[in-house]
Amino acid sequence: MKKKYSGVWATFEFLDDTCGAIKELKKAGINKITTHAPCARHEIMHALGNPQSRVPFATLAGAFIGFGLAVLIIVKMSLDWILPVSEKPIVSVPIMGPIAFELSVLISIFFTIGAMIIFIVKDTRKQPLPKSDEYKQYNRFLRDRFGVVVTCKTDDLPRIEAIMKDYQAEEIYLEN
Amino acid sequence: MSQISYGSINDHVVKSMEPPGRSWMVSMVLILGALSMGIFAWTYQIRHGLEWSGINHPIAWGVYITNFVFWIGIGHAGTLISAILYLVRAPFRNSIYRASEAMTVFAVMTAGLFPIIHLGRAWLAYWMVPYPNQRELWVNFKSPLIWDVFAISTYMSVSIAFFILGLIPDLAAVRDESKGLKRFLYSIPSLGFRGTNHQWLHYMRGYLLFAAIATPLVFSVHSIVSWDFAMSSIPGWHSTIFAPYFVAGAIFSGCAMVLTIMIPLRRAFPGFADIIKIKDLEGMAKMIIFTSLIVTYAYAVEFFIAYYSGAKFERALFWFRPFGEMKPFFWLMVFCNCIVPVALWWKKIRTSIPALFIISILVNVGMWLERFNIVASSLAHDYVPFTWANYQFEWAEIWITIGSFGWFFMWFFIFVKVMPSIAVAELKEKMIPPVRKKR
Repeated sequence: MKKKYSGVWATFEFLDDTCGAIKELKKAGINKITTHAPCARHEIMHALGNPQSRVPFATLAGAFIGFGLAVLIIVKMSLDWILPVSEKPIVSVPIMGPIAFELSVLISIFFTIGAMIIFIVKDTRKQPLPKSDEYKQYNRFLRDRFGVVVTCKTDDLPRIEAIMKDYQAEEIYLEN
Repeated sequence: MSQISYGSINDHVVKSMEPPGRSWMVSMVLILGALSMGIFAWTYQIRHGLEWSGINHPIAWGVYITNFVFWIGIGHAGTLISAILYLVRAPFRNSIYRASEAMTVFAVMTAGLFPIIHLGRAWLAYWMVPYPNQRELWVNFKSPLIWDVFAISTYMSVSIAFFILGLIPDLAAVRDESKGLKRFLYSIPSLGFRGTNHQWLHYMRGYLLFAAIATPLVFSVHSIVSWDFAMSSIPGWHSTIFAPYFVAGAIFSGCAMVLTIMIPLRRAFPGFADIIKIKDLEGMAKMIIFTSLIVTYAYAVEFFIAYYSGAKFERALFWFRPFGEMKPFFWLMVFCNCIVPVALWWKKIRTSIPALFIISILVNVGMWLERFNIVASSLAHDYVPFTWANYQFEWAEIWITIGSFGWFFMWFFIFVKVMPSIAVAELKEKMIPPVRKKR
């Protein structure tokens, strides 16, 4: 059986109203908040308590793996097929520089993309979103409207609706 | 000038993606004509051999390698604008970065063709890739040409990834503004993006990391391209200043190409004049002045070192460049790269759209000639006088070069009609947000 969703979502015309509503919701002990914005706004992140992304760890891991892979490739291939070039050693350290750098960059980029996708999906699953057609078809979040979505119990709906109204939400939808 | 708001940015961008008009169609016919001639010339060259290019003995690297370096250089400005100017928060970047990023991707795609065309037997290009064959014969890692394979393929992968990553929120915005089949088609590449805080958080952090990683890549790629020359012991090539000289030249030509592309784009879509402001184009003009000075300094230093070092072969080559058979290329290069950009010191010229357009084209011509001077004149006049030669342009390489512009502009023209050529989300980010309590 499909899990039933219960929560409130509201749209805002102004950024300061949106941030005010988020801060008030947090003060009221509500932490399952998802916001929508037409662009990245640091004001919203501040209101949400400055959450941190874990993507850089994946980038760093990718860089190390790329570097190691480059060294491995060069050493293995140089020893496999001996190609003497002037007086240079068969396994030459300086030549590892450009290739190790390029592979570190390449693999770290792949890891960054992978981490972004994984973390976005994971965080979105933690806080389910409304399932109604109104929400799914609302198409102004990437145009000129801000949105606040709160997942809560049915009993909390009126309290959250009141907070949204206080901050002059344009439209408020209750879902249960 | 109309007032710009969050909504109007979406409107302008969606309007630019409407079905093409007559001028777009006529331009596309010309572009495809040039491309077809290029493909025909390449086919002819494959059938009859490299004698249909001007490559000879001793000038084994000619127009194709010149084109390769030229297009890689063009590609640099896109990454410079999207990555470096993002990190330093340059205000003139936002309106032009999407088109310059597209320019980077298409320029690198064009550049990547030339080593293959230059090979002659294009079907053996995969020999450059280190793969295990039955004899366990690996490539020579001590050759800068192999470093170049790694550098260019990494640069191309990162540029494409950076470009696509930047497009996701804007494609989602276009999806939300569309209906029916168009909405369905744009919903696929927008990957379910709806601008939630989780999406923006990881997206912006990933984007910042991309910018930070792409920045050293800008310097590394053209440095490695310059080492294709500098690691050899040929007079005119064996120089320690080549890496910074090539990087500055790449940024110089790339900024000029950005203007060559953005000025017609601004004219073609009237709403874009509100978004791509004269101030933004002026910012690019200032970058051109700065990089032109570096390039001019590098030219002067090369001559001074050749004169003052007393190295006979270097002196002979640097005498040959301005006074030998190839002198028209040299003096035209000096005119386009050192003298023409001086005009940009005047604000009146820097803010005049026709003047900027003409100067940008002249700089591009100059930078192509610079690469030709480096590649061909050094090989034409090396150590042994009895091998000295001149370069005769052949019709196949001329048409392949023209065809490469057709290839580049074909992608660009398709891009402006199917993708947002202005960065919607980033422009909004830099605007004053809609607030109830006025600050």
